[in-house]
Amino acid sequence: MNVSNPALAPEVRARVLAAATHARAAGQPVPAVPAISPVEAYRRAADALDRTLATLGEDEWRRPAIRDLDVQGLLGHLTGVEEDVRRAIEGDPAVADAGHVESTQAAAERQAGRPPARTLGEWRDATGQTIALLDGIDDLDRGIALHGMRLPLGSLMLVRAFELWVHENDIRLSTGQPPSAPDPSALRLMTTLAARLLPSAARRGGLAVAARLRLVLTGNGGGTWDLVLGEDDAVEPPRLSIVADAVGFCRLAADRIRPADLAAHVTGNAELAAGVLAAATALALD
Amino acid sequence: MPLSLPRRCASVPTVRGTDGLLAARMSAGDDDALAEAFDRFAAAVYATAAGVIGAGTAHDVVQDVFVDLWRYPDRYDPDVGSLRTYLTVMARNRAVDILRSELRRIARQQRHYRLTPGEGQPLPGDDLVTADMTAAVRAAIERLPAPQRQVVQLAYFEGMTCREVASAVGIPEGTVKSRLRLALAKLETVLDRQLLESP
Repeated sequence: MNVSNPALAPEVRARVLAAATHARAAGQPVPAVPAISPVEAYRRAADALDRTLATLGEDEWRRPAIRDLDVQGLLGHLTGVEEDVRRAIEGDPAVADAGHVESTQAAAERQAGRPPARTLGEWRDATGQTIALLDGIDDLDRGIALHGMRLPLGSLMLVRAFELWVHENDIRLSTGQPPSAPDPSALRLMTTLAARLLPSAARRGGLAVAARLRLVLTGNGGGTWDLVLGEDDAVEPPRLSIVADAVGFCRLAADRIRPADLAAHVTGNAELAAGVLAAATALALD
Repeated sequence: MPLSLPRRCASVPTVRGTDGLLAARMSAGDDDALAEAFDRFAAAVYATAAGVIGAGTAHDVVQDVFVDLWRYPDRYDPDVGSLRTYLTVMARNRAVDILRSELRRIARQQRHYRLTPGEGQPLPGDDLVTADMTAAVRAAIERLPAPQRQVVQLAYFEGMTCREVASAVGIPEGTVKSRLRLALAKLETVLDRQLLESP
């Protein structure tokens, strides 16, 4: 404690902190964003992408976007993903371990030479079919196997929302538009999912050191998470705190920026923090 | 043939300054940030409040100020000033509110005692929230100019209405009100100066 005024009674600190966290629980961000379902997050991300696509001129569909795809090919890739998602929801084992890029490459390549309006119409039909399929499903906890992932349907739709937002920004970058942030309610779900997946990403990334990580993601849609890295039974594991912008962290998790670009504020072992942030990029699907 | 890809976006918003970061962390629900803010600023908040209403009640002001900071961290704008200034202004305003409320309560109580003469009347000022607050207020009133001190004593410690004070002193009611307003403003200033002059 760093309070120098001797007249301030020492017990006041504990009383004040307890009263504050009674008024608002620790970990609860403000302003609170309205809670939405993962399916709604996906729907909003699709709407946002649609709005961006509506602004594109004819020549902008031919701009390079990601990998060897132009904007039109990228949208074809997304149409292919929608087709695989529907097959996965319907239980088709062929897409369970298919490659995310390889499985959708044909859909991407078939856009070449087509009018952009046709590509756009095909993608809109595909997302519409996905939403129609989801509207008939109440159980978002049912397990889905797609592109090497095994996760509940709700989480899968958050991953999809994440992917749509990331590729929307690929297109915006490609066409000279400023980046967009996800809808705050969707972002809150996305940051929660990314935080929850971070320890396993760190493990896959080879981080063997045990640590208690407090991840603080700032901005509307962010939050605070206390995560355990490595083995939970370590005696007095080091404590590490990483504070970063929520949207920036999602860009990092999408492998769209480098850890150094995130301008994170780290307390604790800087080397370990760098390892955690590097591991976060492993969450990307592309 | 590979296409020439656009440069990846490296634009990430950053929170400006330590104070802005503390507030942003609190908004995100990081209670460690609240503890850090308390350790950095509680002494200044406490000293500000104690200068207005005395040491005992100032502890309650400290709690009010930090609970409010935690509940509404977005109300602090780092572009306007430092977090220390924001919190001490909050503390002063809260303390002045308490002071005004206490003076009004005394006036109400004095009027009540005058209207119910059968009940035992405490000495003026005995019901102040704390003895140190009483002392601080009394000392500040003693330093007011005589015309203002007179109307404060009659209105707050004798429990008179403004009309009664006007009649007793022989001045217009509007003058009573303006002297009370001036007196209250001076009380706040004098009590703050007492703080600054204290060791």
